[in-house]
Amino acid sequence: MRLRIACAAAVLCCAARAFAGDSPSGTSWKGELTSDTETQFYDVYGPTGTPMLIRARLTSTLGVSVYDLLPRPAQAGQELLPDLTFRARLRYDADYGASADEATPTTIDRFVPGFSRGPVDLMYAYVEGRRFLHGVLGFKLGRQYVTDALGWWSFDGGLVHVTTPAYFALEAYAGLEVRGGLPFSGAIGRWEADGVWRGDRTGMDPTQYPAFEQNDVAPAIGAAIETAGVSWLHGRLSYRRVYNTGDSVVSILPNEAPLTYSGERISQEKLGYSLSATASKIGGVEGGVVYDFYANATTSIWASADVFLPKHVTASVDYDYYQPTFDADSIWNFFATYPMNDVGARVVWDATQKLSLAAGAHVRVFQNETEDAQTSTIQGAGALAPGISPFTFAEGGMLSARYKRRDTLLTANASGNFGDQGDRAGGDVAGERLFDARYVLSGRVGLWHWEDKLRPDRSTVAFGAMLGGGYRFFNGSQVGVEWENDASGLFGWRMRLLAYLRLTVTK
Amino acid sequence: MTRRWLLPLAILFAAMRALAGGDARTSSLPPGAQPDDSGPSDVIFPAQDVNIRFNHALHVKQLHQACKSCHPGGATSDSVADSLLPAGTACDDCHLTDHGNLHAVKAGDGDSGKCAFCHVGYKDGDGSVVRTTEIPRANMIFSHRRHAVRNIGCQQCHGRVEDVTEATRDQLPRMRGCFHCHQMPDSASRGDAKAACDTCHLRGGAAGGGVIRIAFPEGKLSPPRWMRDAEHGPDFIERHRRVAGADSQFCANCHKEDFCTDCHDGRVRPRRIHPNDYIAMHPVDARMENERCTSCHREQSFCVDCHLRSGVGQSSPTGVQSSKSRFHPPAAIWSGPFRGPGHHALEAQRNLNACVSCHVESDCVKCHGGAGIGAGYNPHPAGFLSSCGMQMRRNPRPCMVCHQPFEIAGKCQ
Repeated sequence: MRLRIACAAAVLCCAARAFAGDSPSGTSWKGELTSDTETQFYDVYGPTGTPMLIRARLTSTLGVSVYDLLPRPAQAGQELLPDLTFRARLRYDADYGASADEATPTTIDRFVPGFSRGPVDLMYAYVEGRRFLHGVLGFKLGRQYVTDALGWWSFDGGLVHVTTPAYFALEAYAGLEVRGGLPFSGAIGRWEADGVWRGDRTGMDPTQYPAFEQNDVAPAIGAAIETAGVSWLHGRLSYRRVYNTGDSVVSILPNEAPLTYSGERISQEKLGYSLSATASKIGGVEGGVVYDFYANATTSIWASADVFLPKHVTASVDYDYYQPTFDADSIWNFFATYPMNDVGARVVWDATQKLSLAAGAHVRVFQNETEDAQTSTIQGAGALAPGISPFTFAEGGMLSARYKRRDTLLTANASGNFGDQGDRAGGDVAGERLFDARYVLSGRVGLWHWEDKLRPDRSTVAFGAMLGGGYRFFNGSQVGVEWENDASGLFGWRMRLLAYLRLTVTK
Repeated sequence: MTRRWLLPLAILFAAMRALAGGDARTSSLPPGAQPDDSGPSDVIFPAQDVNIRFNHALHVKQLHQACKSCHPGGATSDSVADSLLPAGTACDDCHLTDHGNLHAVKAGDGDSGKCAFCHVGYKDGDGSVVRTTEIPRANMIFSHRRHAVRNIGCQQCHGRVEDVTEATRDQLPRMRGCFHCHQMPDSASRGDAKAACDTCHLRGGAAGGGVIRIAFPEGKLSPPRWMRDAEHGPDFIERHRRVAGADSQFCANCHKEDFCTDCHDGRVRPRRIHPNDYIAMHPVDARMENERCTSCHREQSFCVDCHLRSGVGQSSPTGVQSSKSRFHPPAAIWSGPFRGPGHHALEAQRNLNACVSCHVESDCVKCHGGAGIGAGYNPHPAGFLSSCGMQMRRNPRPCMVCHQPFEIAGKCQ
């Protein structure tokens, strides 16, 4: 296996060099090794104030990057030269506060499907080439992220990016979606579509949690067309389709006769478009839309307009529309839901080069089921209470300030969100100062009021304070400790301790 | 009717003019500069210490000196490390001085030949010792030669230097001015004036940042507001998704993936987003911010995993259910016969994400499953039967979870 990987890497490198053609000799490759380790100790309390989980977490990542794998002269005007990079990051995320029983299928009274005490995941590992074939061809091979109007996503495979002289670029990719429970993908999924409880069922009895699906490979394809080379305008139309494969238990209740559905089926199919345009003396507009082919619905619309006023003031209005949809394996796509609409406005003022202020407000509108809809469509449900408003409103606002000097950062934030489900209002002040280019001192104080309107007995005021100190060995490497103390009328005093070590070595 | 609008419009226009202020430094500034800008970026062009008194307007307009008379390197330099300031000897012919030996500089006879005429802070008796002029190298890639051979004149980047006396940092180029020409895609056939950031910015990679380097001793680079609306103001954390969603490669110019995944796939709670004892209080936010949670958390894994472990989930293992208490409002309100405020049907319809963060499918199927499976409470929206056939053909799995095969065949089109 290792030999195959080494051979593949060698072939890839040779192919890349062949593509690159004659490169002038020059600077050699540059490497970067990073390691971030954080350990945290805290308790998780339940809604009634009883401790439920004792967490002793250790998260460690190891990153390797190699840049400029192709020779490159250290002089001006090198933008047309091909460029090859390798980057990878591995993560170990353990909770030593967890009981081994929670990850052991045979301990039925404690076992939690999908839970692992120390999962390892390969966050990304890819080779990226840019500007091959005289600036036309780019590619990425390996585990990689794609971020666009369709959201965050990750897959194992290949992506090809072709930049045309006609101010647009074409992109196509294919591979396997990164899913939790598969090798080197962590225990829990992060990038797959939501709505399906799945992971690794190894060791589980077929009758044990039948609703927990065994994850399987998920082939995916995607394509995009976007503008290229224009600084004031960017538009991207992107399409993605992902398939579910393998068996899925559909008899998920204990008393049902066992029934399984097998076969390739759609997981998600979406089309998204985003546009951003800026007129440097006037302002800018941004917008986007996402259409879900499976749900046959527009799931997301957003738009904003900014005006650049004199005296470094920017004013904006925003709009957001959101309708949740899920993996096509999920039953929740078929539940009646109503979209959320947000309308907001904000102002940002760069009072000086060091001090910036921002203020904003928004109104959120939820649509409700009305009497008419109920009588015509909802069968078997209880009667709709009279007087239900077709819309429910929630509103909020925020104030934010930031003071930034070379070695000092001070921030102050206050916000309030108020709605039928609850209120959250409060603010915090935070600061960080680097002394002598080595010693880091940080702190945060916050006071928040939480109003739980569905369960008023859980409303409370919470105070929190954090004090941290660190030592910077050299640029990118730092060790430190943060101590956090929280207090609330509901949970009393609680403490959280976090220690970290960040190392960066470059060649 | 029209007149009614004239007065408010006039007031608005006057207010805008007042806000805009006077036309200040105006015409001499380089292309791309704004009247209220405070000069080019300190990070790209670090602060200078210029101790030479020089009147550009006099030399250019009255004495008809061309730029290259004093700055010959302006046409040949390939690197920002080159000093393009004239040597003292360049002044000798006119000022009748002799800078041939900097340890024994000879002053000229007239007033314009005196050392103090040009050297700021010079006093009699200082001999050949003058204050030095420090112009740090710019933190960028730039070749004057490549621009000069394309017949790009000095004014196109430096503005009307002939209108000012001393040329300060104000006369250095603004990035916005560069984009007058640098609007080309990577493809080689479009010429060299590429829009790509690393055409001019120093490369990042191992040096930090993303495609370009952003951290320097003088500070960090940050995009101006006119660039993709991406000004990193105090509230940028709330609105960065619009920029990243529109063009994530634009962000990748300055940030590696780690910068994003530390939050979006992170393992340490960011206090700016989740203040104080957020884990205990997050249910209130989850009900209100129904889309924001999903930008970092997958509900059927991240949320469900912890809820099951802590006994909050309905399908939690029996061993931890003993510590569980009712999370929802009283049953009479939450699942009673009348669907009013606080009923789970209405809450689910406007924020299904909150349900999905705690419940697994079987929790819902118990009641919402069809005949022979669940209690038959239909959760489907109006007009569902007109479109469900297409969905079933593409993926019959969810239909089969709640309905018997014969039931599906009979109803779906």
